[in-house]
Amino acid sequence: MAQTLSAAGKRSHNPRFRLDLIPYLFILPAVVIYVVFNLGPVLASFFLSFFKWDLLAPTTEFIGFRHYDFILNDDRFWNALSHNFIFLGLAVVIPVSMGLILAVFIYEIGWGRVFFRAALFLPAIFSGVVIAYVWKWIYHPFAGVLNPTLELIGLGAFTQSWLGNPKIALYSTFIAYTWASFGYSMVIFLAGLQDISTDIFDAARVDGADFRQKLFYITIPCLYDVFTFVITLRIFTAMGVFGVIYILTGGGPFYSSDVIDIYVFRMIGNFEMGWATAAATVNTVVVVFISTGFIKWREWRSWSS
Amino acid sequence: MEFLSRRTRRRLQGAPFYLLLILATVITLVPIIWVFASALKSNKEIRENALALPQEWRFQNYIDAWFGASFDAYFFNSIFITVTSVGLVLILSSLAAYSFAKMRFRGNQLLFFIFLFGMAFPLSAKLGPLLSLMYELNLANSRFGLILVYVAGSLPFAILMLRAFFQGFPQELEDSASLDGCSRFQFYLRILLPLSKPSLMALGIFVFMGTWNEFFQALLLINEDSKRTLPLGLTAFQDEYFTDFALSFAGINITAVPVIIVYIMFQRNLIEGITVGSLK
Repeated sequence: MAQTLSAAGKRSHNPRFRLDLIPYLFILPAVVIYVVFNLGPVLASFFLSFFKWDLLAPTTEFIGFRHYDFILNDDRFWNALSHNFIFLGLAVVIPVSMGLILAVFIYEIGWGRVFFRAALFLPAIFSGVVIAYVWKWIYHPFAGVLNPTLELIGLGAFTQSWLGNPKIALYSTFIAYTWASFGYSMVIFLAGLQDISTDIFDAARVDGADFRQKLFYITIPCLYDVFTFVITLRIFTAMGVFGVIYILTGGGPFYSSDVIDIYVFRMIGNFEMGWATAAATVNTVVVVFISTGFIKWREWRSWSS
Repeated sequence: MEFLSRRTRRRLQGAPFYLLLILATVITLVPIIWVFASALKSNKEIRENALALPQEWRFQNYIDAWFGASFDAYFFNSIFITVTSVGLVLILSSLAAYSFAKMRFRGNQLLFFIFLFGMAFPLSAKLGPLLSLMYELNLANSRFGLILVYVAGSLPFAILMLRAFFQGFPQELEDSASLDGCSRFQFYLRILLPLSKPSLMALGIFVFMGTWNEFFQALLLINEDSKRTLPLGLTAFQDEYFTDFALSFAGINITAVPVIIVYIMFQRNLIEGITVGSLK
């Protein structure tokens, strides 16, 4: 008893144990806005996907997995998700390798680095809406520029309805996405390249390494962590692609370019909030699983080698 | 080749890279140049020859687009929403990042982790409940509501970036300031912020671009024409004028030009904002 008293007495005299409110006050405004308008809705989406909704308002009626039952048996949900996977597979290869090659080229030249970096990054600064409308007009059947160009260079056989053909609409939207995203990979790779010590490249040159050898034996291994970051960024953008497809095709024709965010948006628009939250939760689990799985795999690989 | 100087030889070796880069730049920029050129043509010219350059420059298209739609309102809304959001993000994130980076308190790690947690989710994960919350709080269809959503969305990245930057500040700086009777808030205001200008600038431009271009949440939360931002306004405009080719092109350019201007002015800050976050 006496011991606890003296301990308590000590505690109140020790300045380390006095509750200092200032650190919390500095964080408080950020926490409030973040929790109310970001984290809160994310967590609510998960919990409320097990409840019945009345138009826009959740009710207290717990219905278990009933929304999930609908979503997981909905062909359109799997159709949309499979298109995200196609996007993902293409996005981690095409814009990433374009960005790497262009970054290496810019790094190799002396004069004009800033110009080429700025010019090649330009499409990446636009809103998805601007990107989509630029490409909507490029693909346009009468006013568009793609079909006449193909005819001009003797590839007239390839002209077609780029956004109207269900077999290729998704890939047409992917081209617009690539145009707007390789610049991101490029500037990040370029920054990574400039962090590599020039001694390594000098040594390689003395040893007579050619361009290809430098690329595969120095540049790419040195950029290991940068690759991880660039690809993780692509995972998020490919799984969350919305604006470009929403405007170019709206997910059509016949749902041939539908993706999960358009699916969720359509559900919300139809006041099917239960289905929307369930679909969003499944998508979240998939995205978190892929992204953390990928990052862990990369960490494990760099440890084990 | 021996008669050439070493410098010239090295330059010649770079020639293939220059050629390929020029080719890539042309392919990348042609769509933009084409959209600018088409905005100066008449509908007839566009329909008859999409590839040709304008015969005479019709700036009238821009005037018609600007006055035919409410682009002045969209423009003002975008400016107001973006500038307010950027200001709030910078203030709130620098305060929080200072606390996370430099102060010892119970729950520091946990609270920081809670912020990081928000970066792991796709945007669609919050949309349903966000919409009902905004209706509940009377913040749906409101510019102020959209600002709060944008600020909340940018805070995790902003705090992550500034915390890493503030951690690099020497502790002695703060110790000597506090010996001179400087409170922590004064230190933040008078020393930390002025010394962090380049980082705040990079972060600010990065958040500016993201907010200015945002479409998905604005589409969900705003449905009154007078409150639309530029990306939203452009979709409404294109839906209305999709048969008027020239006006459509002019509308795209009106939306794109402000971003191009900001990009030309702050190119370095923007790219720093992108790469600093990635390489830390």
